[in-house]
Amino acid sequence: MNFFLLPSNNLNQLLKNFSKGAKIFYPFSENGKSHIIEYNPEHNFEPDFSKIRTAQNIKNFFFPARGIVARFPAKIELRSNPIVLMGVKNCDLRGIEVYDRVFLKWQPVDHIYKERRDNIIIISADCPEPHDTCFCNFVGLKPYPEGISDLNITVVKSGYLFEVFSEKGQNLIDENKGLFIEAESESINERNNLRKSAIEKLENINKKRIKEKVYELVEKADKRTIREARDECVECFSCLHCCPTCYCFLLSDYKKGDDIERVRVWDACYYAAYARVGGGANPRSRIDERFWNRFQCKFNYFYQYEKFFACSGCGRCFVGCSAKIDIREILNKI
Amino acid sequence: MNPYEPILTKIKKIIPETPTITTFVLDGKPIEFEAGQFAELTVLGVGEAPFTPSSSPYAKDLEFTIMKVGRVTQKLFELKEGDTVGVRGPFGKPYPLKEFKKKDVFIVGGGVGFAPLRSLFLALVENIKDYKKIYIRYGARTPKDIVYKYLLPEWQKIKNVDILLTVDVGDEEWKGRVGVVTTILDEIPVDIKTTPAIVCGPPLMMKFTTQRLVDAGFKDSNIYLSMEKNMSCGIGKCNHCRVGRFYVCKDGPVLTWKDVKDIEDPFL
Repeated sequence: MNFFLLPSNNLNQLLKNFSKGAKIFYPFSENGKSHIIEYNPEHNFEPDFSKIRTAQNIKNFFFPARGIVARFPAKIELRSNPIVLMGVKNCDLRGIEVYDRVFLKWQPVDHIYKERRDNIIIISADCPEPHDTCFCNFVGLKPYPEGISDLNITVVKSGYLFEVFSEKGQNLIDENKGLFIEAESESINERNNLRKSAIEKLENINKKRIKEKVYELVEKADKRTIREARDECVECFSCLHCCPTCYCFLLSDYKKGDDIERVRVWDACYYAAYARVGGGANPRSRIDERFWNRFQCKFNYFYQYEKFFACSGCGRCFVGCSAKIDIREILNKI
Repeated sequence: MNPYEPILTKIKKIIPETPTITTFVLDGKPIEFEAGQFAELTVLGVGEAPFTPSSSPYAKDLEFTIMKVGRVTQKLFELKEGDTVGVRGPFGKPYPLKEFKKKDVFIVGGGVGFAPLRSLFLALVENIKDYKKIYIRYGARTPKDIVYKYLLPEWQKIKNVDILLTVDVGDEEWKGRVGVVTTILDEIPVDIKTTPAIVCGPPLMMKFTTQRLVDAGFKDSNIYLSMEKNMSCGIGKCNHCRVGRFYVCKDGPVLTWKDVKDIEDPFL
């Protein structure tokens, strides 16, 4: 393993160094909530890596809510700005894992996504204090990253303990060698204890795990259970828009001067027109069919392809839900 | 290559087929395809929609036979010969023609559903010696709604081709069969156990035809169904066309009854 310790006082210099070649985004906390902000050396907003995932998800960095994917007859120029995304929690890394499968692994490769993805350096962070809305352990994840990102930070007493996961990450450490000191085993032990404690907290929040072969249970769920589950749904669809693992989109064309721009916008499978065809047929015309499609997609279909759930346990769907529908309760019931 | 960018080409010829269906012949062949694969057709500044070509994969021009039903097709029907359109594709899997060799091929179409079947039929005819006999069973609402009327007499002359038409409602001139397409499926003169049946048409026609074929004894894996879904990206990313665990744009657009029979109302 590859550890480096950044003394607390050196964080500002590290951010300054990063900002020479990239835009930096990190979590900033206010009133106990964590939000993503862009680094600005003139402002004094300290990064806070100790809170749970930020209120907003990080999907927009990888796959913007509205992004141009083609222009014709003139061609599109792919040129995104380098970004350093700091403090990403393991639940949001699950989202990135999903996009990577869909846009990079599943052929053909989506070059628009790839160009953007290649320009983002991800520095993740441990999640020492899970909230009662967190359920990463329920879906089989840990409250700390073990890969996917380029570097990972654990906040320890003597500073920030960095673990290297990728060559990109190692290069960043090498470029800023003077700011880091050797990581003592004391810091690594401290990290291990913090992680153990985070897992214990999660175990208390979520005593159950997702059921064995949940994909079969989701597939065979009876209509009454589904109707009961969606009974409280007010159809605001917040759960899908704030979900870091949802990746549905729709292509639309717009005239721009002499060209046409093809735009990709986020879509959500709960909208009535989502699957409707030109002729009017609609495979999921009823809300209970669409409501259950979300469960089928995340816990059955995606799982069939990749053998992991397209759900990160971040809990945003519950926090954002107007009716406070808890996905855990539904999955426990079926 | 950017998978979201269409190749621009011109409309070479417009052939009205019925009051609501038109064949658009494109200039040259912007994409190569195999029978059964589909493409996204762009109306500039309006958007795109998925269609399966109706021309032979061996032909020098690319043709689409299209019904005016939605936002994109409304605008497409306003275009004239010489106007520019965009094509993206081919997408999806072709019909497994190798598996059809030395067998009868039983084709059942309804309405504009004859379009992709025409492409398949022409591909089969290209190597007709490879197959035993090709049957076409086609139903339209009225005689006026029959597509490719000008081609049918020629096709009927081809050896080992057997075509039977029906209309839901006849008129004074119509001397053929009257009744929905399933009424001409009472007699199926093929070896049902080995014959592939290929079906394309509106949802209800597909549903009842499939039922009839299953009842007649066709194997579930031998019934090939064109799935009309909302393919937006065409490359298995956007999720709109998913039916069960299948992405119709990648695993389809043709799936077998074996694939979809456990899905509630797969034809909707």
